[in-house]
Amino acid sequence: MSETRAVPNAVERLVRQIVSQVRWRRAEHYALRGVFWGVLLAIVPLVVKGPFAAWAVPLAGGLVVAGVLGGLAYGLSRRVGAVDAARLADRAFGLSDRVTTALECGRRGDRGPMVEALIADAIERAESVQPRQIVRRVLPREAKLLPLPIVAAAVLVLAPPVPLPSARLFERMVSTAAEEEAQERGDTSMIEERARPIPRDPLRRPAFEERDFAARAATGAPSTAGDLSAIFKDTSLGSQRPDFNSFLKKGDERLKLLERMDRLPDLQTDFTTNQYKMVFRKSKELKGGLRPDQVSPQKLREILEEMERLGRKGGANWSGDAMEGMEALEYGEQDRAMSAMEKALNKMRAAQERARSGRNLRGGRDGKGGDRGQGGASPEDMDFGEGEGLFPGRGKSQSPKGEPSQRLRANPYDVGVEGESRRGKKQGYDTNLTGRGGKMDSRLQYLGVIGQYRKMMEDAIAREQVPRDYHTQIKDYFQALDER
Amino acid sequence: MSYDTRVQEFVTAFEGLRSEVEKVIVGHREIITHVLVGMFSGGHVLLEGVPGLGKTLLVKTLAEGLDLSFSRVQFTPDLMPADIIGTNIIVEDADGRKHFQFQQGPIFAHIVLADEINRATPKTQSALLEGMQEASVTVGGVSRALPGPFFVLATQNPIEMEGTYPLPEAQLDRFIFKLRVRFPAIEELNQIIERTTQPRQVAVTRVMTGPQVLAFRELIREVPIATTVRDLASTIVMATHPQWEHAPEVTRRFVRYGASPRGAQALVLGAKVRALIEGRFNVSADDLRALAAPALRHRIILNFEGEAEAVDADTLVGQIVDAAETVIVQGKEAFLR
Repeated sequence: MSETRAVPNAVERLVRQIVSQVRWRRAEHYALRGVFWGVLLAIVPLVVKGPFAAWAVPLAGGLVVAGVLGGLAYGLSRRVGAVDAARLADRAFGLSDRVTTALECGRRGDRGPMVEALIADAIERAESVQPRQIVRRVLPREAKLLPLPIVAAAVLVLAPPVPLPSARLFERMVSTAAEEEAQERGDTSMIEERARPIPRDPLRRPAFEERDFAARAATGAPSTAGDLSAIFKDTSLGSQRPDFNSFLKKGDERLKLLERMDRLPDLQTDFTTNQYKMVFRKSKELKGGLRPDQVSPQKLREILEEMERLGRKGGANWSGDAMEGMEALEYGEQDRAMSAMEKALNKMRAAQERARSGRNLRGGRDGKGGDRGQGGASPEDMDFGEGEGLFPGRGKSQSPKGEPSQRLRANPYDVGVEGESRRGKKQGYDTNLTGRGGKMDSRLQYLGVIGQYRKMMEDAIAREQVPRDYHTQIKDYFQALDER
Repeated sequence: MSYDTRVQEFVTAFEGLRSEVEKVIVGHREIITHVLVGMFSGGHVLLEGVPGLGKTLLVKTLAEGLDLSFSRVQFTPDLMPADIIGTNIIVEDADGRKHFQFQQGPIFAHIVLADEINRATPKTQSALLEGMQEASVTVGGVSRALPGPFFVLATQNPIEMEGTYPLPEAQLDRFIFKLRVRFPAIEELNQIIERTTQPRQVAVTRVMTGPQVLAFRELIREVPIATTVRDLASTIVMATHPQWEHAPEVTRRFVRYGASPRGAQALVLGAKVRALIEGRFNVSADDLRALAAPALRHRIILNFEGEAEAVDADTLVGQIVDAAETVIVQGKEAFLR
C-alpha cells in the first residue's frame, strides 16, 4: 500500500478496504478453481486404488486441499492497483471520482491549492462512507462443473477398485486383431489385384486432344485428331439422361476452348457471312405459307431494299426486280411486289448456284415445270450470261452499240434509251426511247420517282460504278430532266 | 483567499448570473447552464432552434447580467467581412491632414451575438474565425486584440434552409458547444405569456464583471482530472472515429468523420466548469457524460447511411459514450470493472 501513503487517513483506509475486498474475492475465485482441479486430480488415485492401497483416499484429499490452498494463495498474492480500487470505491459510494483524483494528485509533488482542497474534500467524504462489501463475487466456469467430479470422487471412495487391463492381455488382443485382418486381406487380395485400376498420376490432367470425341459423337461430323471444333459437334449428350456434373465438365472444356481464339471453329459462317442466304432465309420466313395479303408490307419492303442493295453491290440482275417490287409496294400492289420478290429471289439463287458450281455453266434459272435453260424460260425471266446483255460493244452483237436485249423486246414495260451527241452551236445529247415501253404512258408518277433515280445515280457515281467519262453526261441528263 | 472560498464565490456568481437570466428567460435552464459553462470555459456557443424560442433574448439578457460590452450582428447574405471586423477609413484631423484610421467593427465587444449566422456567405462567416480562435483580428496587416473576455454567441435556424450557407466544419469546430433550443412546455409557454404581455418590465442586474469572468476561467483550469477520467474523455472522442480499431459498431455504421481534438478539449474544459458548479474540485465521468452531447454533436459528421436513416446526433453520442466506457474497462479484471 505504498501507493496510498501520500494520501493519509480516511481515503487511504477506504482504498485499503477495497483492495482487501478485491483480494478476498479473488481468493474465493481461485480457490474454487483449485477445488475443481484438485478433485479432478483426486479421481486418479481413487480409480487406481491398487498401487496406493490405503493411501488412495488421503492422497485424494490432499490433492483437493492443495488445490484450494493453491487457489487461495494465488488469489491473495496478486497485486491490486490502488487506483482501480479507488475507482471502485468512487463508483460504489457515489464519490464522483473524488477518491481516484485525490489519490492520483496526492502522489504528485507539486500539489496546488486546488488539489489540497480536493484531498480535504475527499477525506471528508471518505470518512462519511459506511464500509460495506462492494466487490462482487465472480464465480469461475469450473464452479458450475464442480459437482460432477465431487460426486464421482465420492462414488469412487465407496466403490471397489476398478480392475485395470494388464499390458500382456492388451498385446494379445492387438495381435489377434492384426492376424484376423491379415487373414481377411489374404482372402480378398486376389480379387483386389484383378479389380485394382491401373495406377494413375492424379495430378496429370488428360490432354484435350487425347479425348475421343468422335467415338462419343452420335451424329456429329467426323473430326480429326486435334480438331477442337469436335467438342462443339459432340451431341452424344443429347441421347443421355441429364447429368449436371457431366454438363459442367463439358461446359468447362468448352469455356477453356473459347480462350483459344485461333483454334475456334467458325460456327457462324453458314449464316452470317453470306448475305444472299440471309436474304433468302428472311424471305422464306416472310412467306411462310402466308397469302400475299397477309405478308407484312414493312418487312417485304425491307427485304426488297436489301435485295436491291445486294443487286447493286454485286452488279447482279435482280436489282430491277427488287425495284419493281418496291414501286409496287408504293402503290399498294402487294401481290405484284411478292411476285417481283420471287423473281429476284430466283435470280439470286441462280447466281449463287452459278458461283458455287462454276462460272456461267447454265445461264438462267429453273424454268417452269422443272425445265431448265433458256428454252424453257419465258423471255421475261431470261437472264444474261457474262458478256451478254446491255453492255454496248460487248456480247454477241456486232453492233458497236450492242444488241438491245431480248428482255427489252420482251418486257412491255422496259424502255431503252438511245442517244447521240449533237454538235453545233448548242451542244447536247439527243435521246430516243426504244422498246415497247417507250410508246406507252408511264405507269409511275414522274415526280415520285425522279428523286429516287437521282439518288441512285448519285450513289452509283459515288461508288464509282460508272466510268468517270460518263459522269458529266449522266449529270447533264438529270439536269435536263429537271429543266423539262 | 482559500480555494474553497474561491470555488464558493464562483458557484455563487454562477448561480446569480443564471438567476438573472432566468428572470427573463422562462425554462431552458439546461440551455442557460450550458451557455454559461461555455462562456466560463473560454469558448463560444452556437444556439440552434426555430424562430421565437428566445435565443437572441437569452444572449441579450446574459449580456445585461454581465458588466460587459455587447454587440449584435444580424447576419444577412450581403453582409461583408469588413462589416464585422471593421475597416480603415480616411479621417481629417484638426490640421486638415488626412490619414487612415481604423474603424472598429461590432466584433470589438466582449459579447458578440451573431444572429442567424448561417444567412451570411462563407466569406463573412470566416471573418469570425480568427477572432474566435485567436481573440484578435487582422486588418490591413495589423493585428488588433479583441477585448477579454471575448465570447461569441451565434444563433442559427435549422429550418428555412433556402438561401442559407451552412457553417463549414472548420467554423463549427470553433464553437465549444452547440446547443439545441427546444420548444417550451405548455407551463413554460403560459409563463412566457404572463411575463411578456404585462406592462412591467423585468430589470436584469449586473452580477459579474469582465475581470471576474477571466479570474473564474483561470480557476476552472486548475480543476484536477484523474487519469482514468481523462482516458475516458479521449476514448469518447476516439470512439467517434470510424477508423479507430475499437470504434463501436454504431460509429462504423453511421459516422464519416469523428470529433477533432478540440472536441476533447471542449469536453474536459466544460466538465471542469460543471465540476465546480457541482461543488467538486475534480472532474468526474458524470461531467463528461453530461457534456458529451453539446460538445460533440456538431463535430460528428454522419455518412450517407447516417443521414439517410436520420440518425440523431445526440443518441449517437450517447451510444458512443456507453461504448467508450466499455472499452475503458475491457481489459480489466472482472473484480475491478
